[in-house]
Amino acid sequence: MSTTSTTTKVKPKAMIQDNTRCIGCRACMIACKSWNDRPADHTDFFAGNGYQNPRDLDANNYTLITFNEIVTGPKPDWVFGRQLCMHCEQPACASACPTTAMKKTELGPVVFDVSRCIGCRACMQACPFLIPKYDYENAAPMIHKCTFCSDRLEVGLKPACATVCPTGAISFGDRDDMVAEAKDRIAKAPGTYIPQIYGLDEVGGTSVLHLSSVPFEQIGYITGLPKTPMPDLTHRWLRVTPHVFIFLYTLFAGLMGLIHWRNRGQEHHEEKP
Amino acid sequence: MNWRIRLTWWDKLLIAIMVMAAVMAFVRFTLGIGSIANINNAYPWGWWVGYGIMTMIAIGGVGFTITALVEIFGAHRYHPFLRPAVLMAFLCYSGAIAMLMVELGRPWMVWMILVSWAPTAALFEVGWCAFLYLTVLAIEFAQVPLEEAGWKRPLRVVKLIYIPVMLLGVTLSNLHQSSLGTLMTLIPHKINALWWSDNLPLLFLFSAMMAGPALAILEHLAAARWLGFAPRMDLLAGLARIEAWLVGLFLVFQMGDLFYRGAVGGALSASWLALSFWIEIGFGLLLPLVLLMMPEIRGSRGGLATACALVVFGVLLHRLNVAVIGLRVRHWETYVPSLSEVGITLGITAAAIFVFGVLARILPIHEELPAPQPSVEPAGRPAGAWPRAHGAV
Repeated sequence: MSTTSTTTKVKPKAMIQDNTRCIGCRACMIACKSWNDRPADHTDFFAGNGYQNPRDLDANNYTLITFNEIVTGPKPDWVFGRQLCMHCEQPACASACPTTAMKKTELGPVVFDVSRCIGCRACMQACPFLIPKYDYENAAPMIHKCTFCSDRLEVGLKPACATVCPTGAISFGDRDDMVAEAKDRIAKAPGTYIPQIYGLDEVGGTSVLHLSSVPFEQIGYITGLPKTPMPDLTHRWLRVTPHVFIFLYTLFAGLMGLIHWRNRGQEHHEEKP
Repeated sequence: MNWRIRLTWWDKLLIAIMVMAAVMAFVRFTLGIGSIANINNAYPWGWWVGYGIMTMIAIGGVGFTITALVEIFGAHRYHPFLRPAVLMAFLCYSGAIAMLMVELGRPWMVWMILVSWAPTAALFEVGWCAFLYLTVLAIEFAQVPLEEAGWKRPLRVVKLIYIPVMLLGVTLSNLHQSSLGTLMTLIPHKINALWWSDNLPLLFLFSAMMAGPALAILEHLAAARWLGFAPRMDLLAGLARIEAWLVGLFLVFQMGDLFYRGAVGGALSASWLALSFWIEIGFGLLLPLVLLMMPEIRGSRGGLATACALVVFGVLLHRLNVAVIGLRVRHWETYVPSLSEVGITLGITAAAIFVFGVLARILPIHEELPAPQPSVEPAGRPAGAWPRAHGAV
């Protein structure tokens, strides 16, 4: 990641996941596996969403097309959704990581650096979208999640999933352009889309923008998230830590001095712990 | 210093538990966490974090609470509790670090916390503070073996730096006990509203303060029984009075916080989580508060032991509720700790108790204890004391 100090600022990238254009072919899942070198795994049907497979993201699956049976017209229909790392503008995972193994890059991807990881799994706990996964069976386990194909982006390529989508459900470009494009699509076809861009301001904005024909909670998206960045929650406590340290130390020293001065002359034990 | 101690069957039981845990830990390190533990992608933190780290550190709060009481607030009559408290804190923190080595996926990289700075992360602060505080505890406790060994020069150094180091320890404790709560404020979408609060840092700090005197009382009673000295019931009653205040204030704070956040509805609903909440409040706070307010209980060994054990249990359940039980992610995901997860924590706990027991027999940790005169407690009388007189093991 040799982002040399060029004067022109890098424009952050983003992706549109237009679920109304998705046909559930899962080419994105395959492209993702092959670029990220994830093995195929044996899966089973589960008591749930029809043909969806696997049930959830895991260490071998960085993205997943969800199959949601929804009654939209006279009969039930499949409405597809997609799970992948949202690459938040201000990621909770990165703010929770005690060793900066999880980082937001200038181009947009939130990337994981195993050489710094201690395996505390705070990123998994912190993520509001439940994205980072772990390979618990490994004796030297790693965090696994969508990388936004950060390595491809650096050399000017699109993410693997965006190159293979046969219906144009995945668009990729500068975030500003993608936001404009998403708004434009909704404005031009208000009957097709619900008037909401998932990721525009969820947890302060993300680098993946989802569009849908039905409300997002119906297709398994986590909704009701705050519009403010998650790291704000801990930041307001942590940023005062150095001041609190100095304040408390002084306070305790002062208190101790004061109380000893008041108690002077009284019988005193020899100081020992 | 008497190096020759006879291992009782308690010691042997503890050793057996440690051996069992060591076998489980061996499997975990060769075949991975997944081979023995039930923690999963939905519940990345389970019993190991809830009990092994969060509760261990909370009850390790005995170190800074008793230190602050004696050294800062000048309550010198509680001096006899200081050495056991510092040693217990040292062992709790060591236990938490041992747990961390099992719990972390890549424990051989743990030094990264000290190298790769991440000031936005609560865990970064917890890691640094706990590391520094363990050093502080080691320095504080070093006086005891140094005195015994008669090493004058290092002893003089340790005594010279004692006060600033002690103040540092109390300050660091305040910081990281609260930072453990800060860590959990990051996930309001996962933790049930019964427990998630903006004030989690303060709730964690105050509950650690509450766990401190309770553990000190328990230790004193246990040591009196097994090492065979008369417990200082006068001091215990005084500590119990302080403990009652701490429990009462914490109860008011926690319930006040619940009301202020408008989450009372959750507590009144018929759900397993509400049940867990009321067990925490009822058995961990209300019952011990009532018990500790009664002078007869404060004067009785059995009563004190019961009340303080309940407080410690309450703190454990609070940590578990915040970090494990109160978490909900996808509806099909569940987590129940495996026997091996519990087994390893038992092993670490057993090791801490074993080391304490051995050190308590070879070092003068309870040296100042035998009371010069019969205990006089203003309000209470040692009525409910166990019928059996104290005696040597």
